[in-house]
Amino acid sequence: MSVCGNEIQKSLPNVRFRGFLFSIGMVVWTLFPGALSGSGHRFEVQGPVAGFLENYCYDCHDETQKGDIRLDNLAALDNPKRLDLLNRIQEQVYFRHMPPKKKDQPDEKERKILLDFLSGELAKYGASTLEGKLQKAEFGNYVDHEKLFSGEYLDLPAFTTDRRWLISEFIYNAKFQRILNGRTMINHGKKRSEGKGSKRFDKLDISNPFLLPKTIGVRYYANEDLTAGHLSSMLTNSQKVSQQITEYLVPRHGKGRTPYLPSVVEILKMEDAHKETLALRRDFLEDHIERICEDIYGSKNESLLPKFVPVVLKPLPELKDGEKYKRAPMNVSTGMLKKLEADRLVYHTLSDPEYSHLDDNEFRGFCERIWFFRGHHKRTIQSRMALLREYVPDFREIAGKNGKRIKKVVYDPLEDDDMEAVRTAILKHRKRGDFYSDIIEKCMAAWELDFQKERDDAGPPGEELFRQLITELSTLILERPPNGEESAQYLQQVKIYTDKLGRRKAVQKLIQTFLLSSEFVYRNEFGIGEADEHGRRMMAPRDASYALAYALTDQSPDEELVVAAQSGKLNTREDYRREVERMLARRDVRTIIDPILEDKNYADNSTDLPIRELRFFREFFGYPKALEVFKDEKRFGSDRLDQSTNRLVNEADRIVEFILEKDKNVFEELIGTEKFYVYHDGDNERMREASEKIKRIYAYFKDTGWEDFGYPELEKHKEFLRKEPMRSINPDKLKSGNRQGDGLKLFKKSMTTIAARLDKGQKHAPPFDLYRGYGTDFMWGGNVAKFWGYRKDSWDWTPEQPMKVSNRKGMLTHPAWLIAHAFNTETDPVRRGKFVREKLLAGTIPDIPIAVDAQIPEDHQRTLRSRLASATETNYCWKCHERMNPLGYSFECYDDFGRFRVQESLEYPENVIEKKPDKLPGRNHLVDLRDIYKTLPVDASGFLAGTGEVALDGRVENAVDLAGRLARSRRVRQSIIRHAFRYFLGRNEFLSDSKTLIDAENAYLENDGSFDAVIVSLLTSDSFIYRKPPTN
Amino acid sequence: MTSRRHFLKASALGAGAMTLAPSFSQLFAATGTVGEPKRFIFIRKSSGIRPLELALPSFSEKDKALDEKKEALEVDLDQHELPNWLRGLDDHKENLTILQGLSAKMSENVHYSFSSVMGCFKSNRNTLSAIKRATIDFELAKLFPSPFGHVELSFAGGRTGIVSGYSAPAPQTRNYCYADPETARSELFKSVLNPEAVTSDNDMLSFLRSKEGLKESGIAGREKRRQEVHLQSIESIRERNEKLIEISGSLAKFLPEIDPVHADGGPNASTPEKQAAMTKVMVSALKANLTNVVTYTIDDLGTPITGLPGNEADRVGIHPLGHDEAFGGVPAWKTREQIRISHVNQIKTIVEELKKTPEGDGTMFDNTMIMYFPENGETHHGIGLESPFVIMSGRKCNLNMAGRYVRLPVLGVEGHKTLGNWYTTLLNAHGNSMEHYGDLDLEMSRKKLDQTGPIKQFMA
Repeated sequence: MSVCGNEIQKSLPNVRFRGFLFSIGMVVWTLFPGALSGSGHRFEVQGPVAGFLENYCYDCHDETQKGDIRLDNLAALDNPKRLDLLNRIQEQVYFRHMPPKKKDQPDEKERKILLDFLSGELAKYGASTLEGKLQKAEFGNYVDHEKLFSGEYLDLPAFTTDRRWLISEFIYNAKFQRILNGRTMINHGKKRSEGKGSKRFDKLDISNPFLLPKTIGVRYYANEDLTAGHLSSMLTNSQKVSQQITEYLVPRHGKGRTPYLPSVVEILKMEDAHKETLALRRDFLEDHIERICEDIYGSKNESLLPKFVPVVLKPLPELKDGEKYKRAPMNVSTGMLKKLEADRLVYHTLSDPEYSHLDDNEFRGFCERIWFFRGHHKRTIQSRMALLREYVPDFREIAGKNGKRIKKVVYDPLEDDDMEAVRTAILKHRKRGDFYSDIIEKCMAAWELDFQKERDDAGPPGEELFRQLITELSTLILERPPNGEESAQYLQQVKIYTDKLGRRKAVQKLIQTFLLSSEFVYRNEFGIGEADEHGRRMMAPRDASYALAYALTDQSPDEELVVAAQSGKLNTREDYRREVERMLARRDVRTIIDPILEDKNYADNSTDLPIRELRFFREFFGYPKALEVFKDEKRFGSDRLDQSTNRLVNEADRIVEFILEKDKNVFEELIGTEKFYVYHDGDNERMREASEKIKRIYAYFKDTGWEDFGYPELEKHKEFLRKEPMRSINPDKLKSGNRQGDGLKLFKKSMTTIAARLDKGQKHAPPFDLYRGYGTDFMWGGNVAKFWGYRKDSWDWTPEQPMKVSNRKGMLTHPAWLIAHAFNTETDPVRRGKFVREKLLAGTIPDIPIAVDAQIPEDHQRTLRSRLASATETNYCWKCHERMNPLGYSFECYDDFGRFRVQESLEYPENVIEKKPDKLPGRNHLVDLRDIYKTLPVDASGFLAGTGEVALDGRVENAVDLAGRLARSRRVRQSIIRHAFRYFLGRNEFLSDSKTLIDAENAYLENDGSFDAVIVSLLTSDSFIYRKPPTN
Repeated sequence: MTSRRHFLKASALGAGAMTLAPSFSQLFAATGTVGEPKRFIFIRKSSGIRPLELALPSFSEKDKALDEKKEALEVDLDQHELPNWLRGLDDHKENLTILQGLSAKMSENVHYSFSSVMGCFKSNRNTLSAIKRATIDFELAKLFPSPFGHVELSFAGGRTGIVSGYSAPAPQTRNYCYADPETARSELFKSVLNPEAVTSDNDMLSFLRSKEGLKESGIAGREKRRQEVHLQSIESIRERNEKLIEISGSLAKFLPEIDPVHADGGPNASTPEKQAAMTKVMVSALKANLTNVVTYTIDDLGTPITGLPGNEADRVGIHPLGHDEAFGGVPAWKTREQIRISHVNQIKTIVEELKKTPEGDGTMFDNTMIMYFPENGETHHGIGLESPFVIMSGRKCNLNMAGRYVRLPVLGVEGHKTLGNWYTTLLNAHGNSMEHYGDLDLEMSRKKLDQTGPIKQFMA
């Protein structure tokens, strides 16, 4: 940013921005080592600066202002206090919050003099905080909007500085999915296919150190550094991943058709073979040690065993009078048996005809002797025997039932060599009195020693193999082969690892080393080649391929991009255009939209759009935040609020996806559409089918008097029920049912909700479950209807969606957006207004002053609006709140769940008119749990100012009126484009980006409101493709 | 020159980062404390604690009635007899607080609460993205940094080794824990037992540093600063490891010895043996100043229990016991009580061990708080109406609550306090002035009752 400032400064007349940027440039200069230390500096205010303070500041900030900020004694303050104050002055003057509007204003030259002085003073100590702030997204709007789009700055050369951009949480996940051969299975309607975007890893729990801030708006910026905190998490992750690679992926895929790290297979070949042999021999010995020893020692075997000592169990205690004892049930005891690793022997023996003669006591004795001679721990045997004391008859019953399914352990000798090794080892190591476990462990230890010696004798892997390993790891992790110098460095390092740690750990350490390299976590975006007359260079083709891929997806460059970068076809603006247009048109990759919904097992949560195109609007509007707002089911009116909110957010995604797919007048549609998805998965055909099924059931039964059915009557309709199955009703076992009732009860429950959906003349039936039961609904979140104000028993749902919904207009009236911009139990006009001001009108709102701790007063007989007004419409507060409240008030026609209303409930205990149940009676999901309170009329009128268009600014009736005007506003269009710039470029815009923004707006207009056109324009702009080295 | 103690206090992370290393991003930013650190031990149990199990048998009729009606009540413990299962703490009544009446409905309840009982959010059955914030133990660990920052021990699920835990260092981040005494010992004292592992990490870090350093030439401006931050990050971890190796000699004297029965995860160790060994390792780590905050899941519903008095030979399950299903002829309530007694024995050991260890003008226990509580509220299937706490606190504790039985007003009435209020109290009393920790209770919100901030009566 500072560089842009210096560049602009050279070519600009004395305009407001020039002075500011010069100031920032100074600040940057001192941030780095070697800058002035400031030690010994004497602070003085002289000349024009003193004049400025005298003329514009001291009126309010001198010694006469007790308790307030004083600026007349700066020299007397100690350094930390003075620097803090200078920073505050710099911000106030830079952002034009001071002098106050009603006071005399300095001209631009005066303002510049003061800012230069302040930045110079702060620079001496490297203490400026302004530069850091201006890089943040929330300060993006401070660049003058009118100037940006005025056309006055079209000639300024645009560029981005050479930079490394820390990867996002999504890219981090995608990288590990790629490295670990992860597969993401995605449900989409009836289909299930492989896709992208999961954060779940097979057999691995990875912490993501790159989580983005949870703010609404553009979240992913290029101004984060890799810190020790990131590195610490990465260390842990790299350890786990390296083990996963050598212990799971290489053994599993190392020899496949596309072998996974074949060099690792080769390096660990001998060790893995030894491990395999050892595992084979151990399994064989543990399964058959008695027989093996009997074969070797014959009748002498028993005499070599230790003397059998049975365990002692205390007698079962007698219960005192009145004491009850309820024995743990069978499922618990069978689980215990398994956890005690006794199930195999118990079930085998009980199901083996050879031992059928054993009574319970004999059986227990038989098992105990086997466990004893195998050397099992006394306590383990004791626990098993205690269990057998109470449960043998039960286990016998299970074995009887499952006899055929219990897999027998068959004696199958090993290969001759192995058998000979087993025999030799036992003969060599067995001592009289050894338990069988002792024999096994002695043999294993001896073989392990032998194998280790064999590996030591073989020596370390050859250099060539190591070089191959380095190439494979570099290609797998960094997606490029190493150059000669790197290869030599890594070779030296892996030799050190091998000497100290052995082969396996050395390989793991090398994997960790690659995973911890900065190249793995930073995206490089550097210019290369000949510089133009402005000192700009095109991005290096490989860097460009990543920049383009990460602009639209979280994945590394696809094959076409890789080829383009490698074959010299990513060197011109037209090359960029070709690739961007190609990627935008791709529809063959489905990506999970929201990993949080994935975590909640909300399976149908994907898109075939380039994910970052959709994600821009998710983050811009911020409606996914509805998932985090903790809400009350009682006030919601029903249960399963969580599932309904998941669906709500997903359906908000669907409408955005729908509009982006059409790609016509995208901004106007997003702000002004009257059509939405409500309890719909986006597949009209599937929804129609589901509705038709319910209608068929209703049509069939409606005149049968089903309400009075007994089993004989229901029996008569078995054929129909076979044709049209109803949930949990088995036509051939009508009485079976489930925990909620028998078949007849379930039938009536279902029919009650089916009838409610169709008996008031509705044309279609929403396909939520027939009754509220356990398990998964047909489609989760049927209560989503409640956010939109639909009663589930009278809803005229339609399968053809998106559908028109009354009293709604655009995303700002979508319940997900409204919840995301609300408190737990109340609306939030301030936050809603702030969104409109900053995100749609490109306006600014100062930080909340530190001293402000405003509370909305409690008054149980007034509306929230009225109470908020009394807290904020005072002179001091109103100078900021007037930019938010009049916009936010218009959303008061929706409550904090996003439900349309004309009356506001005064939700205080003394205002309750009718108390409703706290839980759904009989799980009847048609009941509304909301208590009824006294109400007052809602005043949703507001005022729109700031579009710059007379026809739009002015009083608004409510949010629908407001949305209609915003949808027609040029300012809104430009504001969205500014945010899109930040999103795709990862930084705030400067005046030098003016042409880029104007071009993007023109592209939008010339292409019938295409957002794709905006993206193409931004990603082929000078701002994106040209890079310049940063300077000190 | 950096003394051992100074280093241990000043560094926020040590070998743990290399060998266990939960996500320590937050702890990295923590600064050292001055003076004696405060210590916090959170002991989580499963299957609830029924509020009546904590009622004092010697309550007056009036107090008993108040307690049963869940009305506010406060009595001094020194005049009273403790419930049978708490009698192990008889000698330490002046340090004991029985805290009743907190609610935890903003946390997840029924069988498991996972991270939520210490984070005051719904954990959505332990999904990562539901972790809204750092749990209270990590928040406290930030205030009192130590080489490991925070240590989590767990017997949950009968697992062994290093496994995922329930504490959360940050949103959407899950901690890892040591799941058996031998693992805890070998990892906490790794720099003593296996310095080569730490050294090999440093070899790698040195290589990375030199490799990154090579790129420095020609870099300027913002990128140069970025590079410097990166190199400093590598160096800070490397230096910490080096220092930890340097002091491993002095750490050795704290190295706990544990019985060979705990080898390989201790499959044959009884529950009392496992608990005693884990306690021993924990106390050693505290004495060695390796950590100031420990979270110890002493059991969950999947923890196998063996060797309890009365059920010596039985392997019992906590889940069936919660449903009154019993083992070995012993009624379920008796076995449940024995389980709690085994927990109290551990608390007693910790208290007495720390009271024996000098620190400043007193003992280590003076600066220690132990909190023993159920993860899921008031019964086996708790819904968070109540979340009882048994607290042991030393004489320098920043809270005014020791030696008392306190019942707070019940949920939904004026003056009621939630788990969030309790954790806010802990934070406010120890230097974090946040207004309120955790999600709010929606019934309190619905009734427009004040529910933010600390519990003022406990603030010293």
